[in-house]
Amino acid sequence: MSLGAVTRLELRRLAVRPLAWAIAALTIAWLAWSFVLGLGQFLGDQVKLAGMADAPGFTDLVAIPLLAELAKLAFLVVPLMTMSLLAGERRTGTLALLASTGLAPWRIVLGKYLAVLLWLSLWLLATLAMPLVVGAESTADWGKLAAATLGTALLLATLAAIGVACSAATSFPAISAAMALIVTLVLWTVDRGAQAAGISGGFLEWLTMATHLQNLLRGLVVSSDLIWFVLAIALSLILATRRLGGDRERQ
Amino acid sequence: MTDLPLLNVAGLSRRRAGRAAVTDLSFSLNRGEVLGLLGVNGAGKSTTLSMLAGALRPEAGSITLDGRDFVTHPGIARSLVGWLPEAAPLWPELSVEEHLLAFARLRGFSRTAARKSADAMIVRLQLGDLRRRLAGVLSQGQRQRLGVACALVHDPALIILDEPANALDPVQTGELRKLVRERAAAGAAVILSTHVLGEVVAVCDRVAILHEGRLRHDAPLHDKAGGKTLEATFFAIATGAGP
Repeated sequence: MSLGAVTRLELRRLAVRPLAWAIAALTIAWLAWSFVLGLGQFLGDQVKLAGMADAPGFTDLVAIPLLAELAKLAFLVVPLMTMSLLAGERRTGTLALLASTGLAPWRIVLGKYLAVLLWLSLWLLATLAMPLVVGAESTADWGKLAAATLGTALLLATLAAIGVACSAATSFPAISAAMALIVTLVLWTVDRGAQAAGISGGFLEWLTMATHLQNLLRGLVVSSDLIWFVLAIALSLILATRRLGGDRERQ
Repeated sequence: MTDLPLLNVAGLSRRRAGRAAVTDLSFSLNRGEVLGLLGVNGAGKSTTLSMLAGALRPEAGSITLDGRDFVTHPGIARSLVGWLPEAAPLWPELSVEEHLLAFARLRGFSRTAARKSADAMIVRLQLGDLRRRLAGVLSQGQRQRLGVACALVHDPALIILDEPANALDPVQTGELRKLVRERAAAGAAVILSTHVLGEVVAVCDRVAILHEGRLRHDAPLHDKAGGKTLEATFFAIATGAGP
């Protein structure tokens, strides 16, 4: 019950803040433009594609690139959406007030996380509606699109969890956003050094977020990729909960 | 109702910013009692209230609330404690009504019960005209009234008010005093922290004076220790000339 109350409260706050609407409007406009360009290119290449054996279809050339574009935007959008969740509340004193209602820290963290997750789901759905509408009238590879959607959804959920953890770590929303961005970029490129040295595979490659997302965007659903995302989400939320629980000791 | 005090504080201590903010604080509070907590700035009042509200964990000592250990089970604050922190922190993007509904829901009320309770508080705190106004555009006095309403919306057994009369006009202050006495008459225990001695005289049954984190005076309001008035006692303690 109280978990739902925290989620509802956060959703209400998101709904009335201009930031969420501005981000949604600007990014969906950008994604729609990308989709139209991709679709135009795809239609223009029909003759060339018709002559190719195993030619990539609508899913490979339009739908998945659109999701990849959304994933790129998410690197910036998600830290902006999560930066005030706990950091802003700590700064204004409402976090202590929330804690004084007897809510366990995990309920506050999870409640807020679910609210952002719901917003991000709507963002993903609004983007996905574009290829779905066109795909319904063409020959989309639904399995591949489902895997890519799963990958994008897991990426958003992971970025949101990292954002919540960073927001729990500070009282300054801007620092929280910067931290989330840096952590995400580090996780995205952690194996770059190893790659440059010609080393592939191993722990660093497993640790890299890009490895797991790219498999899913290629339509490859592997349990180790799913486990990576679940672990990253769980670890981030546990860290956020521990940090919030520590507020009672630290203030 | 039992004979046990609602709140029992024993040996409470807490450091903040590297110094002892509260040291070895002990007192108890019965249902229906209004305790005025006085002290100069930095005396440890807000730290004490934060611990009693469950927002801050004591480093030593115990807090027993309604017979249960509050330090290890801060979750019991959900239904039992209502807290108005200093400066009444609110969500600027939510309306007056949304605040009250949110707090009632966070305290575990059903949708219907939350609505009923929020409506009652809006009437009682005369917030009807402000019902749909965002907290971010309220005046300081209006914010304070909303903060009080949020602290009382779930009808708590222990009410903790930190400087509740801040920015209130004389009429609103009078209404607040009436409200505090009403709640006490209904069986709630109230702790009211203030700088204003008149506030304590007008509404409290008992007065506690904190100085440098220690409890230096705890007596019924009209108990003139050594024939001193409250004002004389307070100034004696605050200037270091007192007991």
